[in-house]
Amino acid sequence: MINFPQLIANGLVQGLFIAMAALAITLAFSIARFPNAATGDVMTAGAYTGLATQSATGSLILAGIVAILTGAVISLAADRLVFRKLAGRAVVASLVASIGVAFVIRAVLGVTFGLSQLVYDIPLTRAKLYWGVRLTPLDLQVAGAVALALALVFGILHLTPIGRQMRAVADDRDLARVSGVKPERVMVALWLISGGVAGLAGMMLGIKTVVEPELGWSMLLPAFTAAILGGIGSPGGAVAAGLLLGVVQEISTPFVGFNYKLVIAFAALLGVLLWRPSGLFGKREGVR
Amino acid sequence: MSAYLVAITILTLIYVLLALGLTLQFGLTGLINFGHVGFFAIGAYTSALLTLNGWPVAVGILAAAMAAMLPALPIGYISLRLRDDYFAIVTLAFSEVVRIVVTNARDWTAGTQGLPGIARLYASLSGAASEWAVLGTILAVTLLAVWMITRIARSPFGRLIQAIRDNEVAVKALGKDPAWFKIQVLAVGAALAGIAGAFYAHYITYIVPDQFVPLVTFYAWMAITLGGASRISGAVVGSAILMVLLEGSRFLHDFLPMISDSAMASVRIGVVGLLLIVCIIWRPQGLMGERGER
Amino acid sequence: MSLEILNITKNFGGMRVLDDVSLSVPTGSLFGLIGPNGAGKSTLFAAISGFQKQETGEVRLDGKRIDALSPQARARAGLVRTFQVPREFGHLTVRENLCAAAPNQTGESLLGLFFRPARVAREEAEIAAEAAEIMQRLRLTQVADQPARLLSGGQKKLLELGRALMLEPRFILLDEPFAGVNPVLIEEIADRIRDLNATGIGFLIIEHDLEALTRLTPYLAVLDRGRIIAEGAPDAVLADAQVREAYLGGTV
Repeated sequence: MINFPQLIANGLVQGLFIAMAALAITLAFSIARFPNAATGDVMTAGAYTGLATQSATGSLILAGIVAILTGAVISLAADRLVFRKLAGRAVVASLVASIGVAFVIRAVLGVTFGLSQLVYDIPLTRAKLYWGVRLTPLDLQVAGAVALALALVFGILHLTPIGRQMRAVADDRDLARVSGVKPERVMVALWLISGGVAGLAGMMLGIKTVVEPELGWSMLLPAFTAAILGGIGSPGGAVAAGLLLGVVQEISTPFVGFNYKLVIAFAALLGVLLWRPSGLFGKREGVR
Repeated sequence: MSAYLVAITILTLIYVLLALGLTLQFGLTGLINFGHVGFFAIGAYTSALLTLNGWPVAVGILAAAMAAMLPALPIGYISLRLRDDYFAIVTLAFSEVVRIVVTNARDWTAGTQGLPGIARLYASLSGAASEWAVLGTILAVTLLAVWMITRIARSPFGRLIQAIRDNEVAVKALGKDPAWFKIQVLAVGAALAGIAGAFYAHYITYIVPDQFVPLVTFYAWMAITLGGASRISGAVVGSAILMVLLEGSRFLHDFLPMISDSAMASVRIGVVGLLLIVCIIWRPQGLMGERGER
Repeated sequence: MSLEILNITKNFGGMRVLDDVSLSVPTGSLFGLIGPNGAGKSTLFAAISGFQKQETGEVRLDGKRIDALSPQARARAGLVRTFQVPREFGHLTVRENLCAAAPNQTGESLLGLFFRPARVAREEAEIAAEAAEIMQRLRLTQVADQPARLLSGGQKKLLELGRALMLEPRFILLDEPFAGVNPVLIEEIADRIRDLNATGIGFLIIEHDLEALTRLTPYLAVLDRGRIIAEGAPDAVLADAQVREAYLGGTV
């Protein structure tokens, strides 16, 4: 007897992480106009620095702040030092350069923290029954924190001037510039937000699982899948697709085994892209 | 010492075979294949499994090439429908799927334990003679591959795939179909990677899924980026530099033993990343430059 | 080869870009198409050549519908187009650009390349000779071995035309062939077009250089905001009140 509500609940929790990473990716993709493969390792960086902070101070809140700042600063630096210099070039240049950035981040983390698995010092909690579904309080807290972060980002995007400017640039860069939007400020805002989200997502993922060098990289493909599925340039689409993907992956586990989760993500990605090359909610992009 | 040189030459040649595929696919045709290690893995496991079940090595290598070519057809079809960067992501997903399948199909591939005891080429010869024979064979195959890709690059076929890279819409407007060309290019590159995988398996004699991670794909990308993506000489030069880097870090470790193994591994990745960035920003045409350029 | 465009309608993002456009271009015509910027002229070319799908309407070559054919197939059938913004193969030389356009090359198949080298070599020689002739006619010989991306705008336009000619087309859609071209050369190109037309090749030409166009094409149609608003001999068309109004502020 397959417990679908349980699988769906698990899937939603998983999906929240994918959603966060997908959000970071789709923002960068639509505003800076390239797929940032360094996003995964920015997440890993957030996980490690958050852990270091928590070990040193015992405070998770502080760790969260540090994780966000780490992600933001690294992303801003990567833009200043690398991505900005590739502005007029073909997308493949930025894509390959972002792989390079990912490797550099991973190298620095490896030298600083070593390569073994680390865990956050959080008391183990037992799963409890919430509305017929077993979840640990930790799951709920993490989910709550992620949901809060997502809400915050959407608030910024829709309720603040800089958020509106970001959305304008994502929609139509030339029109935005002609309307007086300053591209410089938008880019700074983009990398701070995208990086911060990635850093926090990494820490949350590290809390739920373990902190290891491949933490973010292993999330990269599901995150890209969700971002593309949701339609590049649609933050809501990325989040929705992330949650959907999490659920689909969990529901498929009784049938294909949990090792094949990524295969499901891949199949979903292929299926949707071949049917709608611009994603479920996307615009005309993606087509040849 | 000479045994060591033979060993790293063999590994360099294997990387040349990988890089050549990318030169053809990306340098000449403009396809962004981030899943190259997937074809490498298919080749390695196909040949390993066949030879472990009694088939001769030559059959294994041939089968490796053909098995690697199989996914190239659907992937080629996909390349026609997606823009470059989406295609890159899909190919990356492909290679990870290969790795996952290989890791979990334990009945076939023994999963993470891997396949030990793979037959060597020239197993009947002993010691040094065997090494030199292996080197000779791989060198011959690599030279053949270099010759073949050079012929292709300088032919009307090569002209047309570069036209596809430069302006695919114009190619269609001139009555030619990019589709079949892209599929062929993916297939040829995949076959080369499959053969490289087979040689790899028969050389190190013990393969595990963890050897077939995206890092290998990006090592090959670094080779062509450094050497010059559209130049065949670029694939050769870039692979040589890559090997110097990878081996050089090993030597460095001997001089600086206080650095741990893991730190060295991290530094290696960092250097690869740095070189990718520096190259893309300041010398995107690589050391050998563009075709027709000096 | 005759070209018929029947009731083509195309929408784009909620806007009607082509509105019930019909044109009949008999065999061997020299037919001009003018209109203000944004009128939909290039979109019409895209629909005729198969790069965009129209919502309604038909395109017929020699009376046969070609709407189901891909752009490649239409080109192979003899209907060739050039682009308003040249689409040269930037990293190939001018010579290579032209040679790449030649149809039915054995050397473009991997099997042909490796197993029939003599035939490939022979075809290459023939193609090279054709390319050399075209380069000479279009005054591109001096840049024959330069990468196409280094050409001037006008030279790129000439290369566009040259590539189309390599296909031995029966009908050519020219999108602003004179834009950015040296005035001396414009007359030469016009002569070339007339020569080709005399051999039976039909032309539908979009141009903004009305003076050059009216000297070349004895028949014009005017497209404004997606509709044909006038058709006929140049003098009559340009004197038409609606046409003058459409070009308000522009040079007529």
